[in-house]
Amino acid sequence: MVIPLISIILLCPLAAFVIFALLGLAKRSFPRQDLLSTAAMLAALVCSFLLLREVVPDPKPHTVNWISVGDFTFSMGFYLDSVTVIMLIVVTLVSSLVHIFSIGYMHGDPRYPRFFAYLSLFSFSMLFLVVSDNLLGIYIGWELVGLCSYLLIGFWFEKDSAANACKKAFLTTRVGDVGMFIGMMMLFAKFKTLSLYDGTENGIFTLVEGLSGTGDIIWLSIAGILIFCGAIGKSAQVPLHTWLPDAMEGPTPVSALIHAATMVAAGVYLTARMFPILTDTSSLVIAYIGGITALVAATIAIVRFDIKRVLAYSTVSQLGYMMLAIGAGSYVAGLFHLTTHAFFKALLFLGSGSVIHAFHAMHAHHDEDHTDGEAHEHDDHSLVHEHGSEIPPDQDMRNMGGLRRKMPWTFGTMLVATLSISGVPFLFSGFWSKDAILGGVLGHAMVSHSPHYYILFGMALIAAGITAFYMFRLIFMTFFGEPRNQEMHDMAHESPWVMVVPLLVLAVLSIPIVNPIWFNKDYVKPPPQSHIHAPAHAQLGPDTKTGDANSGFAFFWISEAQAAEEEGGKNTEKADDAYRIHKLAHNIAMVLSICVAGLGILLSWLFYHRRRFSAESVATKFSPVYNLFWNKYYFDEFYDGVLVALTVWKSRLFAQFDGAIVDGTVNGVGTVTRQIFAAFIGFFDNRVVDGIVNRVAEVTWAAGGRIRRIQTGAIQTYLFVVLGGIVLIILIFRAL
Amino acid sequence: MLLSLMIFVPLLGMIVVLLLPRESEELIKRVTLAFTLIPLILAVYLYITHNQPDLEHLWKQNVPWIATFNIQYHVGIDGLSAILILLTALLGPICVLASWRNIEKGIKAYMALFLLLETGMLGFFAALDLFLFFVFFELTLLPMYFLIGVWGGPRREYAAIKFFLYTLFGSVLMLVAIIAVYLNSNVINGIAAEARTFDIPTLIERAATEGHALANGTFQMWVFLGFFIGFAVKVPIFPFHTWLPDAHVEAPTAISVILAGVLLKMGTYGLVRINMDMLPEGMAFFTNGAGFWGNSLALLGFINIVYGSFCALAQTDFKKLVAYSSIGHMGFVILGLAAGNEVGVTGAILQMFNHGVISAMLFLLVGVLYDRAHHREINGFGGLGNRMPIYTGITTLAFMASLGLPGLSGFIGEAFSLLGAYERFPTLAILSTIGIVVGAAYFLWTLQRVFLGTLNPKYEALPEINRREILTLVPLGILTIVLGIWPHFAIEMFSESVVELTTKIMGTLQANL
Repeated sequence: MVIPLISIILLCPLAAFVIFALLGLAKRSFPRQDLLSTAAMLAALVCSFLLLREVVPDPKPHTVNWISVGDFTFSMGFYLDSVTVIMLIVVTLVSSLVHIFSIGYMHGDPRYPRFFAYLSLFSFSMLFLVVSDNLLGIYIGWELVGLCSYLLIGFWFEKDSAANACKKAFLTTRVGDVGMFIGMMMLFAKFKTLSLYDGTENGIFTLVEGLSGTGDIIWLSIAGILIFCGAIGKSAQVPLHTWLPDAMEGPTPVSALIHAATMVAAGVYLTARMFPILTDTSSLVIAYIGGITALVAATIAIVRFDIKRVLAYSTVSQLGYMMLAIGAGSYVAGLFHLTTHAFFKALLFLGSGSVIHAFHAMHAHHDEDHTDGEAHEHDDHSLVHEHGSEIPPDQDMRNMGGLRRKMPWTFGTMLVATLSISGVPFLFSGFWSKDAILGGVLGHAMVSHSPHYYILFGMALIAAGITAFYMFRLIFMTFFGEPRNQEMHDMAHESPWVMVVPLLVLAVLSIPIVNPIWFNKDYVKPPPQSHIHAPAHAQLGPDTKTGDANSGFAFFWISEAQAAEEEGGKNTEKADDAYRIHKLAHNIAMVLSICVAGLGILLSWLFYHRRRFSAESVATKFSPVYNLFWNKYYFDEFYDGVLVALTVWKSRLFAQFDGAIVDGTVNGVGTVTRQIFAAFIGFFDNRVVDGIVNRVAEVTWAAGGRIRRIQTGAIQTYLFVVLGGIVLIILIFRAL
Repeated sequence: MLLSLMIFVPLLGMIVVLLLPRESEELIKRVTLAFTLIPLILAVYLYITHNQPDLEHLWKQNVPWIATFNIQYHVGIDGLSAILILLTALLGPICVLASWRNIEKGIKAYMALFLLLETGMLGFFAALDLFLFFVFFELTLLPMYFLIGVWGGPRREYAAIKFFLYTLFGSVLMLVAIIAVYLNSNVINGIAAEARTFDIPTLIERAATEGHALANGTFQMWVFLGFFIGFAVKVPIFPFHTWLPDAHVEAPTAISVILAGVLLKMGTYGLVRINMDMLPEGMAFFTNGAGFWGNSLALLGFINIVYGSFCALAQTDFKKLVAYSSIGHMGFVILGLAAGNEVGVTGAILQMFNHGVISAMLFLLVGVLYDRAHHREINGFGGLGNRMPIYTGITTLAFMASLGLPGLSGFIGEAFSLLGAYERFPTLAILSTIGIVVGAAYFLWTLQRVFLGTLNPKYEALPEINRREILTLVPLGILTIVLGIWPHFAIEMFSESVVELTTKIMGTLQANL
């Protein structure tokens, strides 16, 4: 049943897109593309749930030969383990809800059918990425989701900001992708395959176990980091994170689906998948990138006023957490946070979409486009983007306030998500996954005695506090207090049910007790991944337990004692030690994370609700720090001012070199030759014969570029002569 | 027999067209279309039956031609030539359709020359006699010169002469190399032992025989250089490339399509057929990875990729941009061939075919826009996405294919060339990936400047792409998608040839180490 189910999952959304494309070619469009795409997605969702039953402990990939020449073969195929299924469910579930939400949100858009077709194409690509069993297949899906992201960020391409943002997103992620490709080249050169699992041939994960010696490990570290470069781009990690906030130019449902829940999480998924080849060094690099990202993005989020940008930086920060978890060896915790984050962050984005919609964002948007279209200047497109673009009024939190009475459902659901992301204990999913990460990092630090991981734990903890602070800042500014813009406030209204229902579903999914996905521990378990080069804890800690079937996502909310009981007696003494340390670490981390979350919420409440302190005065007091945050650490300035400018300058230089030097040389040689010939012939002309040589000179001159206008009539005669000549030559030579 | 039919049907068509009255333009176009469709039908038949060994005899012919010099009319195909013949036969009718409305003067002469050109191209890919090979090589030059020089843009005469002289320069060196091969073709251990020959399979065999004059390493190296420069002009390889942007900018749409789609492939085809297959020792000298000369071929591939991509980024003329992007993409072919291993050569050959299809699409698309707006200045457009959604969609597809988006055919050629090259020339392969990023940059920047943003009021009435134009693009678009998903359809054609060739190259490299 695996193959047919996966085929349906992939083909349904693809078909929805293909129908749109084919009809589009015939200048038609299907009247209810929205329903078609949504139905396709729901079908995929049902099949994903059915696949839960097909998970077996030690799965084999289902492959076909894709390309084979001589000795080398590339196969394409599916690999279905519990992680795949979880990802499939997350993607199809969020995608279905976003489809439904979009029916309301995108209503009235002139390119309404196209939006759904793009969503379908995206869903297909994302699902393809998830089920692929080899790096080449993952790379294909990887780039296709990038294309869809490009198309959807630039969906309102009449806006220059959107047109710039989509280009930036594609190019920035491509820089990372090139790194990933180089990593793939290294692995291919070594292993002669890009398959990850054992199918008809040995996969990379088996072959990597056969490696030994330190020499191998250095190149493997480099390869691992290069592959991770792809994830840095796609998951918007520092230093390639700048595209994601700009990507908020896309319609909000797109931000929810692609730039919060699924595509950006693909980097985390990839890194977790590649866990068996990650060495100590590459793990540490990943952990640092993740930790720095988590902290940097959180600090930027504090000072943003655009509701979507706050969420965007929050996404970047949370993705950093996931990377940090993988880098610390707790890749299950990373994946766990991926799933919880997918739901609550999608909810936050859709909620913000609901708010924006309430302000009649859509209509204002398009009216604006049509009116100022004519006055538009056309020569301002350049590779260098402009900054400090105005925040659209319907996304500016300074225009909001007091919306909780107007939009009770939106407020209530967003509050659940905010409690979840802030790590408010026990009832909300985010608490469990964040605690798993913090505990994992601290545990790793304690087991390995590595100061690096203590530092990282500190960074993650600070970031957790900041997260709680800025998320409640968002809630207070949007939903509490008095309306700041009465005119807009009066227009606001609760969204239609087609938008509210997805919010409710996502809110329910953010509460673990009622969320079946990580409830059922039989189905949800980490894949058996032996990890030979990685830190010892990866094999010993409670997170992976060398692929023991009993631990899993379920672990994180089932009480620790219960998990310990299940594991009892199976581990060696050393493992027991490590396990005890990890348990301790989890308890410490839990207490600390509750404290920092509480502190963050308290400060936020004092600043933005009770107004005991003024954010403005703090900002002026610490203006250098504030400016740094406000200007996003000047990453964009550096890229546009230095890297992009340098590239453009270099290209102009090349082009000038091409015209002046290379072509100039060619023309020069031509001229010189012509003159030498002319001079030579002139000399010859004077001394030897006059009449005949004159003709030759003329011909030479002609060849040098002074040919007279060629008349078409002459060509026909000419062709007949050529034809006659060919016939004659053939006949003569045949006779010889 | 069928092969000869395929080669000479367009020539027959040329005669028919020349006999038709000048005024009946519609008839001329239809006749031309019919005569280009016949090779296409034959090529499709060839594709369908290519793995039936009992039909092989249909696709070769060997009769004496000029007995004095032992020159034969010897044509035949293997996987590599078959796939390029397919490409040529496919682009033939597409180009005729693309010329349907926008050739204003002398349609008769134009079509006649086009048919002559097609014979030249098909013959070149099928020729198995070095002399015949050269004759067909030169035969494409002549009609191309007139097609650019008469029907081209404002600087057509300059461009045509430049194209002509460049290629002539290369082919003179090639002719010297051919004569050198011919004169040495009968010498074993210093004694003239057998009859001289131009026959390529025989020459390949002799060049692999111990003690044969053709097998001498130094001899092969020099002959390699002669052929190489001849082909390098065609590919074009830096620094012999400057004719290409000029020729493309001035040439009419359909001729640009042929130029990028087929003529460039004549260069790389020659490299595989002669330089690699016949002169493995020479090939080994330039690709053994030792010192400057041992890296030179891969280095040229790398330079083409990076140099072409950066030059493309600086262009503001749409057609010139596509022309420079071709230089970059042909660099991947050179890189893959330099690798000499199965992955690399497979990638290179795939890239030849796919670049033919994709660049044909790109030039057709530029032509569609030029026919409407009468200029090609990228910055002069803007916001066409709303005005011409179908055109925008097809252009996006072609751009994405060209910048190597996985799932479309452009990716696999590039990826395999790089994967193969990494094994032999890791540093150059890694540096070449710069081209992937820059490639994405210039295409996306172009997309933005032409299609995104607000609509330029000048083009509010620009008509959408019409049905005939869609018809020229759809087959190519389908090929890009199908070969992107299932490249095996193309690879199975030539995989045996590649295995044979790479075994020889790698063997020679091993022996020289």
